[in-house]
Amino acid sequence: MTEVPVSRVRNFSIIAHIDHGKSTLADRLLQTTETVAKRQMKEQFLDNMDLERERGITIKLQAARMNYTAKDGETYVLNLIDTPGHVDFAYEVSRSLVACEGALLVVDASQGVEAQTLANVYLALEHDLEIIPVLNKIDLPGAEPDRVVEEIEEVIGLDCSHAILASAKQGIGIDEILESIVQLVPPPADTVDKPLRALIFDSYYDPYRGVVVYFRVVDGCLRRGDRLRLMASGKEYDADEIGILSPHQIPVDELHAGEVGYFAAAIKAVEDARVGDTISLAKEPPDAPLPGYTEAKPMVFCGLFPTDSDQYSDLREALDKLKLNDAALSFEPETSSAMGFGFRCGFLGLLHLEIVQERLEREYNLDLIATAPSVIYRIKSIGEDEFEIDNPSQLPPPQQREYIQEPYVRVEMLAPEEYVGTLMELCQNRRGEFKDMRYFANKRTTLIYELPLAEVVTDFFDQLKSRSRGYASMEYHFLGYRQNDLVKLDVLVNGDSVDSLATIVHRDKAYFVGRALVEKLKELIPRHQFKIPIQASIGSRIIASEHIPALRKDVLAKCYGGDISRKKKLLQKQAKGKKRMKAIGTVDVPQEAFMAVLKLE
Amino acid sequence: MKSASLAGLVAPRDPSVQAAYVHIPFCRRRCFYCDFPISVLGDRAHGRTSGSVAEYVVQLCQEITATPVANPQPLTSVFFGGGTPSLLAAEQVATILDTLHRHLAIAPSAEISIEMDPGTFDRAQIQGYRAAGITRVSLGVQAFQDELLQLCGRSHRCADIAPAVELVRAAGIDNLSLDLISGLPQQTSDQWQASLQQAIAIAPAHLSCYDLVLEPVTPFGKQYQPGEQPLPDDETTADFYRQAQATLTDAGWQHYEISNYARSGYQCQHNRTYWQNQPYYGFGMGATSYVHGQRYARPRTRREYYTWVAEFQAAEGQLCAPATPPAEWILETLMLGLRLSEGVALGKFDNETRDRLHATLTPYAQQGWVRLSEPTGQARVWPPLAPLPHDTHLQLSDPEGFLFSNTILAALFADLGVEIGAETGG
Repeated sequence: MTEVPVSRVRNFSIIAHIDHGKSTLADRLLQTTETVAKRQMKEQFLDNMDLERERGITIKLQAARMNYTAKDGETYVLNLIDTPGHVDFAYEVSRSLVACEGALLVVDASQGVEAQTLANVYLALEHDLEIIPVLNKIDLPGAEPDRVVEEIEEVIGLDCSHAILASAKQGIGIDEILESIVQLVPPPADTVDKPLRALIFDSYYDPYRGVVVYFRVVDGCLRRGDRLRLMASGKEYDADEIGILSPHQIPVDELHAGEVGYFAAAIKAVEDARVGDTISLAKEPPDAPLPGYTEAKPMVFCGLFPTDSDQYSDLREALDKLKLNDAALSFEPETSSAMGFGFRCGFLGLLHLEIVQERLEREYNLDLIATAPSVIYRIKSIGEDEFEIDNPSQLPPPQQREYIQEPYVRVEMLAPEEYVGTLMELCQNRRGEFKDMRYFANKRTTLIYELPLAEVVTDFFDQLKSRSRGYASMEYHFLGYRQNDLVKLDVLVNGDSVDSLATIVHRDKAYFVGRALVEKLKELIPRHQFKIPIQASIGSRIIASEHIPALRKDVLAKCYGGDISRKKKLLQKQAKGKKRMKAIGTVDVPQEAFMAVLKLE
Repeated sequence: MKSASLAGLVAPRDPSVQAAYVHIPFCRRRCFYCDFPISVLGDRAHGRTSGSVAEYVVQLCQEITATPVANPQPLTSVFFGGGTPSLLAAEQVATILDTLHRHLAIAPSAEISIEMDPGTFDRAQIQGYRAAGITRVSLGVQAFQDELLQLCGRSHRCADIAPAVELVRAAGIDNLSLDLISGLPQQTSDQWQASLQQAIAIAPAHLSCYDLVLEPVTPFGKQYQPGEQPLPDDETTADFYRQAQATLTDAGWQHYEISNYARSGYQCQHNRTYWQNQPYYGFGMGATSYVHGQRYARPRTRREYYTWVAEFQAAEGQLCAPATPPAEWILETLMLGLRLSEGVALGKFDNETRDRLHATLTPYAQQGWVRLSEPTGQARVWPPLAPLPHDTHLQLSDPEGFLFSNTILAALFADLGVEIGAETGG
């Protein structure tokens, strides 16, 4: 490794909406700078997880160091710090932005700015990052760079006179982008002489080396073998291995202010080296840690139960393993009278929940039933202090409650004008409070509402997408707690209250939700050999009731030579359905039933 | 033995083939409940006059001739199914049987069945069939009410039934079976009882009573929802089933399969081949064969079938199909065998399978839907401990076990999955 002066280091990230071509652009930059040989190039190099590649989104961020010889003849080190592209991971995004001096704002030249992009640009501006607008996909027939430039200027207030027209796919504009990074992004401050402070912007668990920590050196110098102290966790480690990310890890002896790298020090779990923590030298502590450290806290909770109770310990093991690599995931044992033993798990948001559930099923081969997502409620019982619950079944009976508070979020939506009506309707139905609406050029609108988080973590995002035919995007952040007239809606199957189906709803909506829920459950729960009443109640008062008629026959009349394969498939399907059901008393309830509350019309 | 080491092998105990199914796809019209592979010829068509039928017979015989012989012993059953095989001229039936006999050999005592629709044949034709070797006739009666026949899109009427029965018997064929359908739109319990009584009055050797199945691609499937008006609800059709069982067993027929009844000695040998999971040849458009553990379904349209026959001849009768793995063979054996009142002989299965059968089925045994019997038919007590004894038959009870057979089979499919093996001799 050649020693690079701080003046020739550039740290930047890419801000882009899903599908606007961030990963393709990153790939192209790696290729053009010959960081990754062509034959090693898989599509979307930085998206490491299968899930990411399948969904086309970045969940865990990555970093890459490139050497680039600019037109001035000097060789620069460009560090690309990738950011996760989803609202659930906003905190991680903010930390990786803080680790940079500049950002490429990549906008699809035919689509325009989306809410997520907007939120991240504001974050970047807050941290004084130099922003280089890039209009991507200009080779596509629908590209309207002028319109999109106008939109960026109007919506963000960003000067687009130096915007680059590019097509990552076709390799158009790549050299201009690299040159702009060198010219426009300022070099890091030269603070090599100060005591070491480095910002952790990512970490992951490696089964052989322990946690590998990705960081940006802000001040001073880090050498292999240094005794390091993480200022927030207070833990100390020896830097056994330090290196750069190219994007493969290459060990080096020393990293100085402005550089981006990794270290491994046999750290047991990522929660010991959390994103946002400051790395310092144990022997030479700085005056203060870097600002802005917070622990990413779970916002959304659900119960995860193995379909087959024998898998309980497998589930615990799998969660333990995921936790090694996912500091934001929380879980504790939960016992449900309906579902048996499982875990109450906390997530940053719905996508985080989905990813964890999918990884548990896919990578650990578990059959799981997830209960409907819930949020944290604050309860004040008479004569007691305020306390929090993350599970509707913990709600004390009404006569003991003084009040319930629920979390609110500010939701910002961006959509073409014609969908504003239907989105407003959606927000009203979800107990939203209208705050603001702004029109921009090109008939695009932002819509701002304050909504109870509980209404957002159901199918709000799906609804937003389907009502706007995919054109609307959204972003939310936490506002605080508000008191509301909330009640617990219980569901009784065959006369027994099923704790995993209980939800907390607003009193005004309770009747509607109860009615819709029992109807949905009637559809989802298969017939049994006996009649099954399905009821919704508030306290002891039944507010809705349905019944599933008894199964009278389950037989295939004909089965001759030509019917055998088909008949077998039918039975296999029936068997598979049966396997994915949870026995609640004498009633087999399919997985989907526990999510039914999310799918009410 | 675990199947991991056996996966992909031919199903165990592949005995020689003894049965041949021949598909005759022609019909005058398509009935509203039918999703079989058929070709509609129109109301006046007949095999003697139709060029399509003549061509089909030629192709069919070519397929038979190209098929590698897998039966060291002559065939003991042949079944002409359809479609409406009675649209074939007697000479055409004779040609097909002759081809089968020359190529595969048919035992002199073989059961040779043909499906016939009332109103599609005359005296000369049925006599010709008899002369060609037909020994058993299955008559598609379906109902004894004109309004119901019309509603189903059947081309015959009630008045055609008695003459058809008379013709068959006059031709010297006493092995006569009638088909009836229960659960038709608007059908009442009284109508069903009347159909059963009229069938009893005819005194056929064999009776099939099918609860209507709504197939999605049929007019019925598109028009009706199962269990909803104008179809009788499930409770009613389950009662129709019990009604048939009580009425017919009372009148002296054995309820030997979920939907089939027979006088002693007149069970359909050919269909028993399927239910005992034995191999069979299948010839003709849409027909399935099960030879050397391979289930193979032929193309379901005439044009595709003819192309296939040419390819089949060119490939010298080789079929590309995976053999049923042993674990699948166990499931198929149970799925088919439990349709028979005598059930499945447990000696076919290894200890581990019988362990699992015990675990899965004990709740159903307690419910009275599943039971064990000696090979002689005498009841055997369900053992408190696994495995189920190898020298017994596993059976479903009649009618309740039969009525919920899918529930029981789905439980077996879920629990036996694919990872256990069959007793493979040694």
